[in-house]
Amino acid sequence: MAGEDLIIKFQELGMSEQKAKETLKNANLTRNLQLALAETTQPLSDGVGMLLYHMATKLKPQISGQLPLLVRYIAERKLDNTQRVDAALEYVLKCGQKKNVNVDLAELERECGVGVVVTPEEIERVVQQKIRGTYKQALLEQRYHFNAFKIMQDVRNELKWADAKSLKAAIDVEIFDLLGPKTEADLIPLPKQNEKQPKAKVSSNAKPEVKASTTSTAAADDDSANTIAELMKTKVHFHAPGENFKTDGYVVTEHTERLLREHLQLTGGRVQTRFPPEPNGILHIGHAKAININFGYAAAHKGVCYLRYDDTNPEKEEEKFFVGIRDMVEWLGYTPYKVTYSSDNFQQLYDWAVLLIRKGLAYVCHQKAEEIKGFNPPPSPWRERPIDESLQLFEDMKHGKIDEGAATLRLKLTLEEGKQDPVAYRIKFIPHHRTGSEWCIYPTYDYTHCLCDSIEQITHSLCTKEFQSRRSSYYWLCNALNIYCPVQWEYGRLNMNYALVSKRKIAKLISERIVHDWDDPRLFTLTALRRRGYPAEAINNFCAQMGVTGAQISVDPAMLEAAVRDVLNVTAPRRLVVLEPLKVTISNYPHSGPVELQVPNFPQNPALGFHKITLDRVIYIERSDFKLEPEKGYRRLSTQQAVGLRHAGLVISVQQVVRDPATGEVLELVCSSESAEQAEKPKAFVQWVSQPIELEVRLYEQLFKHKNPEDPNEVPGGFLSDISDNSMSVLCAYSDQSLSGVKVYDKFQFERIGFFSVDPDTSGTRIVFNRTVGLKEDSGKK
Amino acid sequence: MSADLKTELNKLTNVEHVATQLYDKIKDSKLEENLPFGDHNDDELTKLQVENTKLKHRYAIIKKSILSLQSQTTSEMHDDDTFAITEHLEKVFTQAIATAYPRFSNVPAIIAAVNASPKFGDYQCNNAMGLSKKMKDEGINKSPRDIGLEIQRCCPASPIIEKIEVAGPGFVNIFLSKEFAVSSLTRMLREGVKPPKVPRKRILVDFSSPNIAKQMHVGHLRSTIIGESISRLLEFLQHDVIRINHLGDWGTQFGMLIAHLEDRFPNFLNESPPIGDLQEFYKESKKRFDADESFKKRAYNRVVTLQSGEPAATKAWQQICDVSRKEFQKIYDRLDVTIQERGESYYQSRMLTVVEFLRNKGLLELDDGREIMWPDVNKSGIPLTIVKSDGGFTYDTSDMAAIRCRLEEDLATWLIYVVDAGQSTHFHGIFKAAERAGILNPNIHRVDHVQFGVVLGEDGKKFKTRSGDTVKLSDLLDEGLKYSLKQLQERGRDQILTPNELVEAQEAVAYGCIKYTDLCHNRISDYIFSFDKMLDDRGNTAVYLLYTYTRICSIARNSGEDFSNLAEILDKFQIVLEHEKEWKLVKTLLKLHDVLMKCANGLFLHFLCEFCYEVCTVFAEFYDNCYCIEKNKAGEICKINHSRILICEATAAVLRTCFHILGLKPVAKI
Repeated sequence: MAGEDLIIKFQELGMSEQKAKETLKNANLTRNLQLALAETTQPLSDGVGMLLYHMATKLKPQISGQLPLLVRYIAERKLDNTQRVDAALEYVLKCGQKKNVNVDLAELERECGVGVVVTPEEIERVVQQKIRGTYKQALLEQRYHFNAFKIMQDVRNELKWADAKSLKAAIDVEIFDLLGPKTEADLIPLPKQNEKQPKAKVSSNAKPEVKASTTSTAAADDDSANTIAELMKTKVHFHAPGENFKTDGYVVTEHTERLLREHLQLTGGRVQTRFPPEPNGILHIGHAKAININFGYAAAHKGVCYLRYDDTNPEKEEEKFFVGIRDMVEWLGYTPYKVTYSSDNFQQLYDWAVLLIRKGLAYVCHQKAEEIKGFNPPPSPWRERPIDESLQLFEDMKHGKIDEGAATLRLKLTLEEGKQDPVAYRIKFIPHHRTGSEWCIYPTYDYTHCLCDSIEQITHSLCTKEFQSRRSSYYWLCNALNIYCPVQWEYGRLNMNYALVSKRKIAKLISERIVHDWDDPRLFTLTALRRRGYPAEAINNFCAQMGVTGAQISVDPAMLEAAVRDVLNVTAPRRLVVLEPLKVTISNYPHSGPVELQVPNFPQNPALGFHKITLDRVIYIERSDFKLEPEKGYRRLSTQQAVGLRHAGLVISVQQVVRDPATGEVLELVCSSESAEQAEKPKAFVQWVSQPIELEVRLYEQLFKHKNPEDPNEVPGGFLSDISDNSMSVLCAYSDQSLSGVKVYDKFQFERIGFFSVDPDTSGTRIVFNRTVGLKEDSGKK
Repeated sequence: MSADLKTELNKLTNVEHVATQLYDKIKDSKLEENLPFGDHNDDELTKLQVENTKLKHRYAIIKKSILSLQSQTTSEMHDDDTFAITEHLEKVFTQAIATAYPRFSNVPAIIAAVNASPKFGDYQCNNAMGLSKKMKDEGINKSPRDIGLEIQRCCPASPIIEKIEVAGPGFVNIFLSKEFAVSSLTRMLREGVKPPKVPRKRILVDFSSPNIAKQMHVGHLRSTIIGESISRLLEFLQHDVIRINHLGDWGTQFGMLIAHLEDRFPNFLNESPPIGDLQEFYKESKKRFDADESFKKRAYNRVVTLQSGEPAATKAWQQICDVSRKEFQKIYDRLDVTIQERGESYYQSRMLTVVEFLRNKGLLELDDGREIMWPDVNKSGIPLTIVKSDGGFTYDTSDMAAIRCRLEEDLATWLIYVVDAGQSTHFHGIFKAAERAGILNPNIHRVDHVQFGVVLGEDGKKFKTRSGDTVKLSDLLDEGLKYSLKQLQERGRDQILTPNELVEAQEAVAYGCIKYTDLCHNRISDYIFSFDKMLDDRGNTAVYLLYTYTRICSIARNSGEDFSNLAEILDKFQIVLEHEKEWKLVKTLLKLHDVLMKCANGLFLHFLCEFCYEVCTVFAEFYDNCYCIEKNKAGEICKINHSRILICEATAAVLRTCFHILGLKPVAKI
């Protein structure tokens, strides 16, 4: 049928011309509609057209075989509203795990309430009963702010097939009866509840960029949450265990029903996910998302999550990576249900490969790696070789008889992107971390991944969007072997601007001595973030804020820092520290000697305890808190202006400035003090220390100048040319004695400066702190 | 593992050890002096280290694979899944005898197939008489019949035996189980015809071996056909077969050929010489060699330059060889023969080392300026001439080098030389000498000289052309094509078949009958070459077999049902063996493994030909007595006996397997 004809046909269904044209662009929908139109003969009665359209938009490919049935039911007015159509679709889908099953029509009609008529009287009765009973109190309190949808749902539970419009009208009338007309107060919108939440906190002058490459930013916002648990419980809509066949693109075979039944028996209907990193590098911020989604989804649904090392490539694996990965998962607060290894399944995978060859679905190929690289490589001339030959050669590969690169095992299948016959096995004469010299053929990701998922009875195989194109091969492979087939769900990758996560490039930074090691706090590996003092909770919350949409997200570090501040604000106790000390002697020191002061850990919340600090005649203040020549609006200490000392109850004024005669540098201030109660209220209070201990404090700035240091357009000279000059500086700071007994990773807020965390370099008397984040974004002092 | 390999490995381990020590030393002294160490970006070193790791890994894998394959082979020996029936029965009855008479536990069972009346069973164990006699010698009196009964009583259960009866004076008659037969047949139809399991060996078959600059003649025909079929048979038994063409591509005659080439085609270095008839070229040069003294001198000189590897002479030699090679390949293509060339020239350097080797062992003796070696310590028989008095080498030398290379470099454990009976003494000497020199170990190695008789003309004399020349092989094949076409035309096939099908049938018949005639006689005897006989469509001929095969294939086709997916048919229908002729045919088919083992053991292919013929005649009996497809009077199909069609398909599968080994190409239409 030509486009023009179709547009007319579509309009006959009740669409506008515009809509008909748009519809035509959707090939799937057009095909469904054409099929539907082909099934109807007589002119359509009112409303039937739009119901057909509704059905056609929601028809999943796996139930397309039932289209004639649905069309007939709609045309016969047995399914006379969208609700019944939806119910019918749902029912048919439920039957879908059996291939070519006959739908039980009686049950279908029961499920869809065919012929059920709900009278207006019935509606009125139930609505009255609900509004005057269950909801009365809430309605009186919240008035028109009450979400009437709840009532609607409730009524629906009793009167499933009540007409939506009549129901809505009945509810409106009944509420009006109860509350009377709307008052002015009813019209004021409620304040947004989550205004205090971190996203709102990011100041507008440096708004972290959330770039959504496919969907709109608004969608990303809607799909985010504050914690992973909340995200997973409320925003993510994956299938229920065992209902794999209801998902889009799932392939139902004659074995599906049995396999899913067995699957449910094995798992008891429990959600099972897995985090499957390749143990060939250090985890970075991008992995945090994967960890959170997999572990988080399982936790939120009382399921379990495996930590599976995808160790199929022996070249790149090292012991330290295995340990490091588990360490980081646990640091983020998750406990793997079991730690497994893809290599545990090498024998099974091999046996399956042999089975695939026997079935004529795989063959040994001798094309070189270069030959099959790139776009549109030539098809393999070995594709149709005899099965016995492939079996023999595959065994020869296993026995070490064939040279590296001289043979691969390939699957007979075309991937979505048009890639022909992906490689399943290749020869590598390299001992494996766990299997030693057992194997010299190693399976590829494409081959291993889905099969290990199947072995572990994974319910939701969650992966990033790049793997969408592998979904069909995933399903194909499981089905080719007649084994349980999990469902693959994809989510967008998380990219951090100004960050470099490639293992090779980080190694380069290390060998060029630009950073110190894998956990250098300027990097975005998880160990680096931990070392820098980022709390695991903050990283998890950050991931929750990013949501689980399909869009690839690029985000500025500021966004993560905001999440870090939110957590540290309520968890890191305050301390007084001066980074660049300036000696101050109080000439009229009011006490006879050093005195101890009790200082709250959290000034807003004294219930959270105190620590002691010492006040003495000689104190140290921040060098930058004194100015010889103050500019206008300057609020702290100058020769003309007094300043208060935090927690000390003193206000000091400069009496004398001692300067180095040679350089003119200020060496010391002699100040007089007044009790804070007596003195005029100073414009500012500053932090100070006396009888201090020394701290080594490391301050970090962004390592790269550009957002995408790896992008040759942005940085033509390569990432090594994009290093900031002062990404790290080391200071010798003073703090009071209360910081003398700190442990590695203890976190504090240095008042007025920022959040700091104890570095693992700390030992004995040497105390090292890293600046985690400043107090505020872009905290230039004023 | 050979001793050389072991030594080499030890050497390598030592080298590695020393390297590690050096590395550590360098490291220590660098660290001592506070010099940087560890950041050595030596790509070459890294590359070598990776390569070392890879080689070690591969070595470990291969070693493990060999072990696992060895244990697999041993375990397969006990796994009676695919076995030869006779072999299996021998095991069963050896055990029965051992149980009945522990004193005679080392007496092997004698099993014979029974072809007479079915009431005597299918196989017989004939040990009773022998045992009775042995006991009598020891003073025990026991009738063979009693012994037979005792063996019957002690016979362990076997899935293949239906029942055992003792008949007459003490024959133990064995009846095969139909259940076993049905399951064997079913498996065969599902999985294809599988070989009997035997321990895998690497086998080198030396055959064909014509001489450069000479035509292949009818004498080469036998070696080529027999060698190819032996290779196919052994490959079917899953052996690792190396097929070697021991081409005569070296020797003094090349001096005169090169000298002549230089004169005739001075530009040969830049352009391939257009030698049409190399044999004629050879004759010309030989004539000059005999007549022209200066040419003769130059010819000798060329031998020396060729042996020294001088490029121009080497190039000339290669060009001469290429001409022959192309001619040979045409013949191989026509006969569907696969072979790897490794001519005498291959052993040049190996001859030097083998002479050195023999000399060092003190096995060479000076004899009138020559160095000879006695194959036998007792110096009996004919000695081998290893080095001629002029320092040159002989066939003895090159064959000693070849046998050493085959056993020590190729690691073959079974060598088969397919060479005419005339060379028997020569090879006997070589084998003996190799054993004496410690190259060949009879406990590990097996060597066979597969000899064969000559081809005779219809007059019963050596096969010659009318003019008395030897018959060129290509001419013979051409003639075969003519005969077969004529025969096909006589049968009116040229009217039915498409031109392509006709050519296919013509070639299949022509080459098939030439090969089959050669193979169906006991190879040791001479045979008379007659196209008329071999093209007869009755009796044990290729034509008869091909026709029968085609007829069997047509049965399933004519049923109007699709028998291409046998597994599906087998899911729906069972094979039933009710009719006596069905049972007879199936029992015949089940002998395949026995026959293959028998052929492989003695390297005789005529047993396989006889088996094919037997299958075809028994099939004819079956087909005459058992309807596969029943038609009503109107000629419409009214009943299809699926079980019988399945038996037909099994028969076709067995024949196909045999045909492949014998080099017959089955054609769909004939």
